[in-house]
Amino acid sequence: MTELAHHSTDYSVVESESPDVMGRNLRVGAHLWSSATAFFFVAFLFTYFYLRSLNNHGLWRPKGVNAPVTLGTLIAVAVALSAIMTFAAARKLRAGDRSAFRSLGVVALALGLAAVVLQIVVFATVGFGPTDGAYASVFLAWSGFYMVFVVGTMYWLEVLLATSFRYRGHGAAARPAPGEASGDAHRMGDDIASPISLQSPGADAFAFTWGVLAGIGVITWIILYLI
Amino acid sequence: MKLRRLIGFNLLTAVILGVIGFYVGWWLGSLFTSESVAYLKESNQHDISLFIGYFTGVLGFLVGLGFANYPVQRMLGKPASLREKETQGKTRYLGLCTDHKVVGLQYLIGIGAFIFIGGLNAMLIRYELITPNQHAWNGNNYLTLVGLHGTMMMGMMTSGILGPFANYLVPIMIGARRMAFPRIEALTFWLLMAAGAILMTAIAFGGFPTGWTGYAPLIDQANMGVDAYIAFFAIVGLSMCLLGLNMVATVITMRAPGMTWGRLPIFVWGQFSTAILMLLAPPVLISTLLMVMLDRTAQTGFFNDQIGGSSYLYENLFWFFGHPEVYILALPGMGILLEILPVFTRKPLWGYKLAVSGLMGIALLSWLVWQHHLFMSGINADLRPFYMLSTELISLPTGFIFICALGTLWAGRIRLTSPMLFCLAWLFNFLIGGLSGVFLSDVPSDVTTHGSFFSMAHFHYTIMGALLFSFFGGIYFWLPKMTGIKLNERLAKAHFWVMFISFNCTFGPLLVIGFLGMPRRAVTYAGYLQGANTWVSVSAFFLGGSMLIFIFNFVWSLVFVREPAGDNPWNSKSIEWQLPSPVPVHNFDRIPTFGPDPYPYGNVGSDAVPSMPAVTPARPTQ
Repeated sequence: MTELAHHSTDYSVVESESPDVMGRNLRVGAHLWSSATAFFFVAFLFTYFYLRSLNNHGLWRPKGVNAPVTLGTLIAVAVALSAIMTFAAARKLRAGDRSAFRSLGVVALALGLAAVVLQIVVFATVGFGPTDGAYASVFLAWSGFYMVFVVGTMYWLEVLLATSFRYRGHGAAARPAPGEASGDAHRMGDDIASPISLQSPGADAFAFTWGVLAGIGVITWIILYLI
Repeated sequence: MKLRRLIGFNLLTAVILGVIGFYVGWWLGSLFTSESVAYLKESNQHDISLFIGYFTGVLGFLVGLGFANYPVQRMLGKPASLREKETQGKTRYLGLCTDHKVVGLQYLIGIGAFIFIGGLNAMLIRYELITPNQHAWNGNNYLTLVGLHGTMMMGMMTSGILGPFANYLVPIMIGARRMAFPRIEALTFWLLMAAGAILMTAIAFGGFPTGWTGYAPLIDQANMGVDAYIAFFAIVGLSMCLLGLNMVATVITMRAPGMTWGRLPIFVWGQFSTAILMLLAPPVLISTLLMVMLDRTAQTGFFNDQIGGSSYLYENLFWFFGHPEVYILALPGMGILLEILPVFTRKPLWGYKLAVSGLMGIALLSWLVWQHHLFMSGINADLRPFYMLSTELISLPTGFIFICALGTLWAGRIRLTSPMLFCLAWLFNFLIGGLSGVFLSDVPSDVTTHGSFFSMAHFHYTIMGALLFSFFGGIYFWLPKMTGIKLNERLAKAHFWVMFISFNCTFGPLLVIGFLGMPRRAVTYAGYLQGANTWVSVSAFFLGGSMLIFIFNFVWSLVFVREPAGDNPWNSKSIEWQLPSPVPVHNFDRIPTFGPDPYPYGNVGSDAVPSMPAVTPARPTQ
């Protein structure tokens, strides 16, 4: 009865989809994920101020419970610099300079991973433990879960770079081999026709996400280390 | 080939790897509790083993399903692909599949199974409450049953409509071939199944006494069974968040030409408004539960008053998620109600824009009311009026939904089919739920009804009376489209009448019992309440029995009779009904272009298809 679809229609005929759609999805998805991430840390923000208001008369940071400000500052700087590098890398990619994207991206990845290593150093050297009061609890949990997000975001950057390196010898019209993407050479229609075409929206989406997370990192630094 | 299928990435492999992962995690956790970590050794914290076991178990489960393949390939720089395992016959229902229609049906069966288990728990609770004295379960087991029932229902039913119906229908209704992120869509379902399995293990670790809210300090102090609750809700939260993200992104980016915001079917608006809440509320829950997990393992003091924490903090954080959660449960049902009513009144939806503003208004206001759960928990008295007013304000957008529903019914050519009956029951039940809610939003009356069976009956009227009735309305309405098979209408009506009458016989008297002072979560009660409680228990058993009618109908119609439904058995004008039943894997041969009217029903007296079709085929996108 319908002219909109038929079971008998050849599967491969109907599947072509513009790469723009997936690029748009990535951008929108990045914005949505960032808002969810912000809400995740809002709970820690609320907890910090709530418990701080309860723990007055020197109970908030008892003697010996001091955050290592130098290391904390280094973490914040590494994260912020990495995010700035990422924005620059995405811009280069938009301009068609894939080589510069890779160079800046590798630096951004190194800085992000350096932040993770520094956080591990903080945990290993900090002079208090989780049982040492409310501030200690908030400090260790907030900064720890923040680093989990950083590691996940660095994975995304690694994927972008790995794809760029893999296709570095190809032109913008590079196409995957049949079946390389979906694992089925007969169902090529829904593979992304040109992996390079997704690089720029992917980098933009990543830069936004990492920028928001870096912003949260700077707020974390101000709250946990400075005030 | 058969061996390859058996040991490939499928449900069997997933279960095996999940169990192995659990035990590996348990062993890893035991290393933390060795002599090297003194304070953990002293506290005998096997919770660490259990949490790591749950984590690695879920990881193994997902690896077994094949979820790790794609991320690993992408790490190596391999190109992206949108789809997996969409044309592999019936086995695609038992593993990772990126077809949104398969995921929708997976949700329907998976969630249905857990609702059934949650319902059985309710039967066991009511069995205990037949008499005022303890006779079947001891206090701990009774509380575990209450907790399992509440947690299972609240956790699973958050995705009860978005999971099966929105995943299946939203892409079709907006003229898309897929969801924005098909793998994430599949992941949300399998996370939910893993979470359900974890919750069931609570029994093996001594159960949990906290109910579905898990209030501190009890959640910090309870035995290891509560770890299952924590892991369950955290995983459900992640699943909800990803489901919401995917749904919002899909509606924003995947709409076909002509499908403007003002033409979105009201069902899509219902799911969209819910998805916004699902995206933003669960992260707060996840954070909170992670804090609890750290309290129970690393001995942090978030909710421990003795070392600077606050149990009241937990209540605040939980309800900041918890009240939007209530609307996560209510809103999608409103979408179903308003989508089905025009079909069976043969009228356009009355007040489309009003309905949309009602749905979005509820979503917005749901963030501003959470403190009404804490009226009796030491809230600053000056804050009470604001939260009382904001709670009562939410009745305005809810009223919009009622007005639109009644306006659609007015002078319509009403057909009392089974989906329509469930919709009409929604109106009745939600009205009772809403009116009883006023007593809980007003501080003076909340003082006497808080924590009683009155509030329990209230939320059963709003959640079960609305969500579950719309869920069944949706099943009877759309299952013929999803499966191509017609359900027996006579059995469907029998199911409806038994369910509707027994539901009201169960929860109506509970409003009175609560008003008379019977508290929730108590295994014994005053002797003078026995008559009413026995009546309620017997009614509850009938309510449970009504589910058996549904299951019989489902199996009988789908497995044995298999009467073809046809493409459009309800004579609907919506786009999904213009497609073959079941819908082909590609949804549309060509992406359609939508016309100006989402509800092109004729005026009263006219049952004819409009002269201009709502949807016209267009050129394929390239």
